[in-house]
Amino acid sequence: MSQIVAPWRIGIDVGGTFTDLVLIDANGVVFPYKSPSEPANPAVGVLRSIEGASQKLGLDVRSLLKGCSHFIHGTTVATNLLLERKGARVGLITTHGFRDTIEIRRGYREFMWDHRTPWQDVLVPRSLRLPVVERMTPDGQVELALDKESVAASADVFRREGVEAVAICLLHAYANDAHERACAEMLAEALPAVYITTSSSLAPIVGEFERCSTTVANAYVAPKLLPYLSELARELRRRGLERDLLLVQSNGGAISLDQIGTRPVALALSGPAAGLASLRHFQQITGNENLISIEIGGTSCDVTVVTNGKVAETDSITVGDALIALPSVEIHTIGTGGGTICGVDAGGLLFVGPQGAGAKPGPACYGFGGKRPTITDAQLILGRLHEGTYAGGSLYLKTELADAALRDAFEGSLGAQVSVAAGAIIQLSNLSIRQAIEKVSLVRGLDPAKYVLVGAGGAGALHVADVARKLGIRRAFIPRLAGVFCAFGMCNADVRHDYVSTIGAPLSADVVATLRQALAELTQQGRQLLLADGFTPDEMDFEVRVDMRYAGQQWPISVSAEDLDPAKLRQQFEAEHERIYASVQPNSAVEVMTARVSAIGHLPVVSPIASQVSNRILAPIANRRAVQLTDETEPRREVPILAGANLQPGHYFVGPAIIEEATTTILVGDGDMIELDAFGNYHIDIALPTSGRNHD
Amino acid sequence: MTDAILTTLLQNQLDHISKQMGWVMERTARSPIFSESHDFSCFIADASGRLISVADGIPIHTGGGGFAVDAVLRDYGADGGIVPGDVFILSDPYEAGGNHLPDWTIIRPVFVDGVLLAFTCNRAHQSDIGGGAAGTYNAAATEIFHEGIRLPVMKLIGAGQVRDDVWRLLKLNSRTPHLLDGDLRAMIGSTKVGERRIQTLTEEFKLDVVAGCFDAILDHAEACMRRALLALPDGLYEGEDSSDNDCFQTVDVLVRVAVTVKGDEVKIDFTGSAPQIAGFKNSSVANTHSAVYVALLSYFGVTIPRNSGAFRPVEIIAPRGSVVNANYPAPMTANTGHPAIEIINAIWKALAKAAPDLACAGWGKGSSCVSSGKNAAGETYVMYHMHAYPAAGAVRGRDGFPSIGGVISLGGMRIPNVEVFERKYPVRIHRQEMRCDAAGAGEYRGGTGIDYEVSVSSRASYSFRGEGSFTPSGFGISGGGTGKKADVVVSTHAGAEIAAPQYGVMELPPTRISVSSAAGGGWGNPLRRQVDLVFRDVRDGVVSTTAAREVYGVVCTSDGIDYVATEALRHELAGRQPEN
Repeated sequence: MSQIVAPWRIGIDVGGTFTDLVLIDANGVVFPYKSPSEPANPAVGVLRSIEGASQKLGLDVRSLLKGCSHFIHGTTVATNLLLERKGARVGLITTHGFRDTIEIRRGYREFMWDHRTPWQDVLVPRSLRLPVVERMTPDGQVELALDKESVAASADVFRREGVEAVAICLLHAYANDAHERACAEMLAEALPAVYITTSSSLAPIVGEFERCSTTVANAYVAPKLLPYLSELARELRRRGLERDLLLVQSNGGAISLDQIGTRPVALALSGPAAGLASLRHFQQITGNENLISIEIGGTSCDVTVVTNGKVAETDSITVGDALIALPSVEIHTIGTGGGTICGVDAGGLLFVGPQGAGAKPGPACYGFGGKRPTITDAQLILGRLHEGTYAGGSLYLKTELADAALRDAFEGSLGAQVSVAAGAIIQLSNLSIRQAIEKVSLVRGLDPAKYVLVGAGGAGALHVADVARKLGIRRAFIPRLAGVFCAFGMCNADVRHDYVSTIGAPLSADVVATLRQALAELTQQGRQLLLADGFTPDEMDFEVRVDMRYAGQQWPISVSAEDLDPAKLRQQFEAEHERIYASVQPNSAVEVMTARVSAIGHLPVVSPIASQVSNRILAPIANRRAVQLTDETEPRREVPILAGANLQPGHYFVGPAIIEEATTTILVGDGDMIELDAFGNYHIDIALPTSGRNHD
Repeated sequence: MTDAILTTLLQNQLDHISKQMGWVMERTARSPIFSESHDFSCFIADASGRLISVADGIPIHTGGGGFAVDAVLRDYGADGGIVPGDVFILSDPYEAGGNHLPDWTIIRPVFVDGVLLAFTCNRAHQSDIGGGAAGTYNAAATEIFHEGIRLPVMKLIGAGQVRDDVWRLLKLNSRTPHLLDGDLRAMIGSTKVGERRIQTLTEEFKLDVVAGCFDAILDHAEACMRRALLALPDGLYEGEDSSDNDCFQTVDVLVRVAVTVKGDEVKIDFTGSAPQIAGFKNSSVANTHSAVYVALLSYFGVTIPRNSGAFRPVEIIAPRGSVVNANYPAPMTANTGHPAIEIINAIWKALAKAAPDLACAGWGKGSSCVSSGKNAAGETYVMYHMHAYPAAGAVRGRDGFPSIGGVISLGGMRIPNVEVFERKYPVRIHRQEMRCDAAGAGEYRGGTGIDYEVSVSSRASYSFRGEGSFTPSGFGISGGGTGKKADVVVSTHAGAEIAAPQYGVMELPPTRISVSSAAGGGWGNPLRRQVDLVFRDVRDGVVSTTAAREVYGVVCTSDGIDYVATEALRHELAGRQPEN
């Protein structure tokens, strides 16, 4: 390994199976390192990956950490606490009469036909949801003063019950937080060891269910997540790290450990959201500001959309059963991954998912005891994967096992041929990926054909060309570091702090004045925090936005609030409404719902080093094997196999071909042209059918 | 490619198309009834009117849309009466295959190379269609003429030309023409999206392949349903459920069903049900079929595709002139609620005898009101008191949901936030809390129902619909207990109680309303409920220590469970239970 040059950045993404580390040095040299995770104590996995990486680099751990200018961490600890229900014992303070808001869940079941599946238990049992006597009006007037005795009584119950964290969510606290603050102060005094969080400081939005759910989730993760992070930071410091540990939030931005203390639930999508910064880098490389990425791993496919350089965001996410109303990168997840199980249903038709084989036993071909066929088994049968070792030797794929699993599951159903079933599995999984892309684009009024499709994760590159072709997409992109997509992104994550304030009034000159003041205050809060982070004013950006809607509509539309003029705001809102929904309602009242400020501190961008590409050279073929290339039934063909390790910037090849990279396998379709850019990433020109697609 | 693979792919893609139609509708429609309550459904029928794919709209629309497409084919199907660019509209339940008048159905033929391949359709509840009361529900109606404009099968767009005269007629008959106009456009737009997507599908898969697959898609659903039926023991199973009023007086309105399971087929016979009634709770043929499908599909589970194929092994006998198939001109706007709920309950009760493990306990029936008045700015508002939604019944494996709405929506409608309502309407909501000792007891207990209290600060008009108020409606099943009935108490701010009707409209001064919504029924013997779950319910205050002891046989002490006493008590109580 060549010598790396300080200072460097390190991104570490802890996944269920692997812990990914990426280091980018001062010259832009990128060093990826993958090692097994330690689910019982993720910090051990992190420290072990640092040891492993330093060995590979020929450095000691202390030098590796000492030379690090930014250490950025994406963690699944918060996610897993919520998914596995291993969080803290939580108490909740509510307004008298409303202790059950969180259990009623607005009476809504997303999959209504499946009425037999129970809801998970609420994160806080009813016996620990304690009402206090108080009332605010919608405009923030005190209608009933806070009864301090009821707060004191709650504290006694919480103490007796061994509560580790208390969430406080009172009606209309977004309009006036005085009672929530008073409760928090009293409880902090009475229960000094208990974590306390208020809805008005976390998510001051209208809607008691969403606010309450967010606050409870925050209380639920804090007592376990924060000590884990502090301990990790201490260990890193002890080993030589001199900088603050930075953490990736669900919004894709980074935040320092001491600032996450009041809102640790903002780390709920910490890992996958870091892919955002990778996408930003890929925009530059592809020269296209419109990207759709499909990140496919063992259990799922995550779809993310970037339009005109802006990643699609959502104002709430759901993790397990918990709704979290904080701005987040919008990641649409479907259960289509390498380990997704396939078979034949009661009526004789094929299904792919939603069940998965997980990491253990995994696909049948892994030989870890899985008996049911998965998408990976189908890829192996079709020759797109080969019998033999993968993932640096930690896996050995056996065709015989895949064959037996498919034969068992499809015997007599789809004709005798296992390859027919395998082709059908791939076809169906490509269809579900394509439908997921259509869903995220259609509801935003976007045409996927105008985007570049990014294939990431271990399995994305096997699907990307075919899915692009079916969607009429002309360009696909596969980062060379597809398998460490998120860790790579972390190295260039911006620091970001989000603020919201509820307005909730019809658009008028007066309301715009209120809005201007609210935005100015939020911006000022953000500026102070960024200054404390050590950013200079010219490294700061403030995105100011306002959510508006027609009176009566359910979903607001967010528009830029740069130009604070009632007529301009309405114009902007209607232009966006027209674009998304193809209609405007010129006579309807418009409401200003929420003011939003994102304070962003830009870290200087470190780009991977670019090679000199003098001219285009035909890539060398390593060998050939029989592959069924399209997912429809057709004879196998001898297809060139290219070894990723042999490929250099400037290499190109016209498909069909399979490219075997260290962390992924790329399927290049018939007539597709693939080439390597100066960074070693793959670009595919997709051969679209000549008839073209019926664009609509 | 084998047929099974092709069928899988096409079914998958057609379902995706009907869902896309729904997304377009949800995002573009004007009325909150669509965006908030999903009171619409998008579906695709083949050229002969069979339902091929139904997106998950409101469950009570499921399966009824075929009658509407049949009506289009009956009126225009011969002699080139249907041409590319046509868009049909209809609503009448007697004349045009509608379910009830407020649901208008848009039907667009899809042609490929001049051949009629399919219809893309959208059925949606309109904000107002004239008639005797604003907002489509006229509890005083005694004839369908009191319920709004009746639409036969009409061309709203003929060969691409919008018929402006028809459009004006429709708007002229609504109190909210502006909303209606926008909603109609959204409906038409969604069927257009469906049309384009189906045409694209034929480019990918070839027309004759797509058309040929329709049969296979239906056959598959049929096979799934037949397997589910085959798993039930053959026999005649009877069930009944009733309403205690006809909207005007107290009278038992019975829905009686005889469910005959024979091999892989089922006959659902409503002979013996009550004659049609004076009020607007009469069912149409289309709505009765939908209610039967909701009962069967919710009973058997999610794996059965919800298309015409699944309905093939189901024979439905709905006697004319009865409450499940009323004769013209009976009013019927309430039918998607009642008697749809009675139909579902009767079938669930019958099927419970066939397979107690699969049985579903009753969901509470609604008791609430709609208030309408002027807000501080002098604008008219209409507020549905949704925070008083009733509870769900239990099934084996889960307790009932505490507050979820009628069984006809299966939880598909969202209750708005209290904070939103207080910002929008002149009200102060004081309470939205789970009831104590109301849930039907069981190994899995029913949903608790809700205690709801609200003050309305200005004069308003109230339309009461108290179906769940006088008779317990969340029936217990397979040994479970019945959930408590609802209570509605109306009083002035000074505290004087006002007698409110079960159904009817009243004008009232500033008022305080308390509703305890109907609780759900329990599943299974309460003496078999896990002791720690009973204790949790006691700690949570939704079951009293008295009920824990007397109903569940669980003896709670101040700090836990007395296991020894509990075992003895459960033994003793079990000895007193009748053999079954």
